[in-house]
Amino acid sequence: MMKNYIIAFAVFLFTANMFAQIDRSVMPKPGPAPQVNVEEPENFDLDNGLEVLIVENHKLPRVSMSLRLDNPPIFEGDKAGVTSLMGSLLGSGTATMTKDAFNERVDFLGARMNFYSGGASANTLSKYFPEILKLMADAAINPYFTEEEFSKAKERQIEGIKSNDKNVAFIASRVRSALAYGKDHPYGEFVTAESVESVTLDDVKKFYQTYYSPQHAYLVIVGDVDEDEVKDLVKKNFSSWKKTEVPETNMPEVTNLGKTQIDFVDMPNAVQSEISVVNTIKLKKKDPDYFPVLVANKILGGGGEARLFLNLREDKGYTYGAYSSTGNDKYASTFTASASVRNAVTDSSVVAFLDEIYKIRKEKVSAAELANAKAKITGDFVLSLEQPSTIANFAYEVETEDLDDDFYKDYLEKIDEVSVEDVQRVAQKYFQPDNARIVVVGKGSDVLENLEKIQYNGKSIPIKYYDKLADAASKPEKKTVDASVSIDKVYENYINAIGGKEAVSKVESVVMIAQGQIQGMTLDLEMKRTTDGKLLQNVSMGGNVMQNQVFDGEKGSMTMQGQKIPYNEEQIAAAKIDANPFPELSVGSATLSGIEQVDGKDAYVVNVDETTKAYYDVGSGLKTQVVKTVSQGGQTMTVPTGYSDYQEVNGVKFPFMMTQSMGPQKLEFKVSEIKVNEGINEGDFTVE
Amino acid sequence: MILKQNFLAALLFVGAAGFAQEVEFTEFDLDNGLHVILHEDKTAPVVSTSVMYDVGGKDRINGKTGFAHFFEHLLFEGTENIEKGKWFEIVSSNGGTNNANTSNDRTYYYEIFPSNNLELGLWMESERMMHPIIKKEGVDTQNEVVKEERRSRMDNSPYGNLLQSVAGAMFEKHPYKDPNIGYMEDLDAATLDEFKEFFDTYYVPNNAVLVVAGDIDVSDTKKMVKDYFGDIPKGEEVKRNFEMETPMTKEVRTTTYDSNIQIPASILGYRTPSFTEKDSYVLNMISDYLSDGKSSILYKKLVDEQKQALQVAAFNLEQSDYGMYLIFALPLGETSLETLNTEMEEEISKLRNELISEKDFQKLQNKAENAYVNSNSSVAGIGESLATSYLLYGDTNLVNEEIDIYRSITREDIKRVATEYLKPSQRVVVDYLPESQKAE
Repeated sequence: MMKNYIIAFAVFLFTANMFAQIDRSVMPKPGPAPQVNVEEPENFDLDNGLEVLIVENHKLPRVSMSLRLDNPPIFEGDKAGVTSLMGSLLGSGTATMTKDAFNERVDFLGARMNFYSGGASANTLSKYFPEILKLMADAAINPYFTEEEFSKAKERQIEGIKSNDKNVAFIASRVRSALAYGKDHPYGEFVTAESVESVTLDDVKKFYQTYYSPQHAYLVIVGDVDEDEVKDLVKKNFSSWKKTEVPETNMPEVTNLGKTQIDFVDMPNAVQSEISVVNTIKLKKKDPDYFPVLVANKILGGGGEARLFLNLREDKGYTYGAYSSTGNDKYASTFTASASVRNAVTDSSVVAFLDEIYKIRKEKVSAAELANAKAKITGDFVLSLEQPSTIANFAYEVETEDLDDDFYKDYLEKIDEVSVEDVQRVAQKYFQPDNARIVVVGKGSDVLENLEKIQYNGKSIPIKYYDKLADAASKPEKKTVDASVSIDKVYENYINAIGGKEAVSKVESVVMIAQGQIQGMTLDLEMKRTTDGKLLQNVSMGGNVMQNQVFDGEKGSMTMQGQKIPYNEEQIAAAKIDANPFPELSVGSATLSGIEQVDGKDAYVVNVDETTKAYYDVGSGLKTQVVKTVSQGGQTMTVPTGYSDYQEVNGVKFPFMMTQSMGPQKLEFKVSEIKVNEGINEGDFTVE
Repeated sequence: MILKQNFLAALLFVGAAGFAQEVEFTEFDLDNGLHVILHEDKTAPVVSTSVMYDVGGKDRINGKTGFAHFFEHLLFEGTENIEKGKWFEIVSSNGGTNNANTSNDRTYYYEIFPSNNLELGLWMESERMMHPIIKKEGVDTQNEVVKEERRSRMDNSPYGNLLQSVAGAMFEKHPYKDPNIGYMEDLDAATLDEFKEFFDTYYVPNNAVLVVAGDIDVSDTKKMVKDYFGDIPKGEEVKRNFEMETPMTKEVRTTTYDSNIQIPASILGYRTPSFTEKDSYVLNMISDYLSDGKSSILYKKLVDEQKQALQVAAFNLEQSDYGMYLIFALPLGETSLETLNTEMEEEISKLRNELISEKDFQKLQNKAENAYVNSNSSVAGIGESLATSYLLYGDTNLVNEEIDIYRSITREDIKRVATEYLKPSQRVVVDYLPESQKAE
């Protein structure tokens, strides 16, 4: 009995105690911002200059290691490309191991290893760490450069440059750096097919000997290792690495413009304009301004909650995304605000960018914006710390960026200290719209006229013209259609080019089977069309239908993932045009609007309807491209489809290659079969 | 010379053993029976708070299925102190993420926060355990959501009924025969009282484990756990008495139709032991051998060389009472399902009759180890491993010892397990066919 009382009393006490301590009807408040536990790396040097940083972390039996050469930027000049060629050749065998044997061994151990011009990296289970470190050292110190691998690498690199020749975003980024830093600066120069062509195997060997030196090298090892063991292994494997004096580079001082200007590059194939507002800045990670700049940029353009995104995407629907960034490279960097926008809104987007940049300089940001930006930066930082590679990066940066030892420990506190006044001060200092270049790469015939008309603060903005290599160019001329050419003539030429009216008029139906590749999977496309305006289209993957569309001339439906949706009015109108294999037989409401280039060749542009443009090659008469403007979820995109490889079937030529681009994605369909007047089954076009 | 080599070998051995992964943890029970596991890791200021309840798809009330999964949804509806619909907002506006999932054997709820929100995570999980709102309104809302989920995951999804087609044929008596998500007619017929009863039976502290992993102070956290969870009343002990299956003695054949597919599939299914048995680990290794990567046996043979299959996969569905071992293939071109079955059985029979090569075996060991190491690379991952080890395997320290089980597996084990469980006379063969092939 007594015992029971005691228990009851104890229980009572316990409960009472608890009620005194928490009130669960109130949501707990966050504690003080956590102090970040960034581990201290151990370090030691080898006589050859290699500095080794070790972060012991025994939580998991794995090790990541990276070799990083903190060389000053290298100006390659007319041998531009030698750096990346050297990097791509590392790891293809050593003095004592063939390339295949080397790769097989790394795979068998379940490890990953990569090499690049500025170093190497690897991940492994800790029990294989000694062997992986040895393999990495061997490949880095005793590389075996062969003529065979060299010419393969060179070919790949030239192929890469060529494949980007029409890539508007690639050209824009290249021109932006070249103009901002200058082509005589390591950050402004770029690789061309000619410069790669001029590189020899000897150049690569010489480059390796000169720059792949332990002088400014760091070896960062994170994970389940023992410091003493690492010392022994590193000494054993890296002591033979000979130190060479890496030459100092004299870099020109970077500057900004006295007055804002638009730098325009004409790319007739562009369906979007690449816009970037850019000025160079002098900001290092160790500068007191670093944290306020981080916050200011977060508010201006650091993500999906930032002002540029909210304005250009959410509010105006000009683009899929608009962002800004501020570099903190110890030699030179830029502030850049950029977006890819529809041609038609290029000028309005330039104005929207300038509005936002001026606004964050002129007005203080709100307390809520500041708090959100800080919360976001804090969250990103905290999450990143889960990866051991982050700790390695921190340790490396503390060494190479000359940071305080506590830089990352105090990181969140420093973010927390940033005030609205700080944000405005650094915005005025680093975002310089009065001295910026507004680099626009796009289709001159569509966008120039309006760019010229921009009035900002009552003034027009001067435009300078450049080519794709960032050399000064003259203003692109607008081509005009010869007075003798009419829409009827363009259509007639097309019909003649594909086989003539007689052959074409015999066609009643066309069945097309094509295959496309997307992310390594094969998409099968089957399309049946009749000249009386019926349509069936199946897209399938691995035999399973992904999408099915049927149109019987009057009504239609689309089925996706088992859900059938009837066509709306717009879709019916579009299907009426798409169903006909030869819309060129009758002009209808189509109009001829001018001449533009498609893949470098002049083509007549026909406005088929409000959302569709068709392009007919001036020389051959063939249809080479159709561009559709589609709206989806408030976003407007242009989707170009290219037609090529015309081949004759039953006396009529059909394109056997179709290329469709959707944003950065490119989908190529190769036609495997075309059947004329056969292959249509009863019920193909039945809409239930 | 001999001596020297011995010395080296010994060193290597010590090296391998000394590098074992060590997840340190503290565990204790509250008076109400809640088991608590704390794992301190100050590498990153991140904390994961999670509760694993010992309740899953196999648990029923009055024979009705789908309750545990239903509660996975229902327990986000709100509590006495968390307003309906606010759960996700609270988490995201405090810099966190959260989710939940249900298997046949257990249900898992978790939040991941910056560590200064540890108390918030504990508050939310304790609110959920102590007094969630279970009302008609919430039940009706979630009933629609769950039906939508069932449609999109099973009924509307190609091969969505595949697992169920095997389970239905493999089990006659044990609840594993029914889908984890349940039958919709059961959920429609369930009463509010049954939901309340189910909650009171299974969602009690003595039927759960709370894991807090990450940047915590162990003694502060202990106190907070007591504060928030200590006054949740203890429930009755959960008792289960599932009818067990009689061993299979002959092949079971069955056909399932799916209106979402055009290409049929063949599935070979084998009833295997509980995931607590070593043999279950051996089966995981056999899966890697058969179908993981381009050099795996079935991929190389059926997809790469003989071009008979579009896809082939072997996996061990690990469960508490029985495992399900599945080998699944989609035929390419004119290949019949029967041909696929013959080709697959040919490779399995090699496993039963021959030892795999030493080199393949070593590769399997490396793969197993890599997978194991990477499964515990975040505090959230460790949190779940700790909860699973305690609740389902009955040994929290398994988190540190699991790899030893893999290391103890030999080539002979692989042969033995294949012989014991992957037999044609004890398998289920499912012809999984397009609806269009249904005989009129």
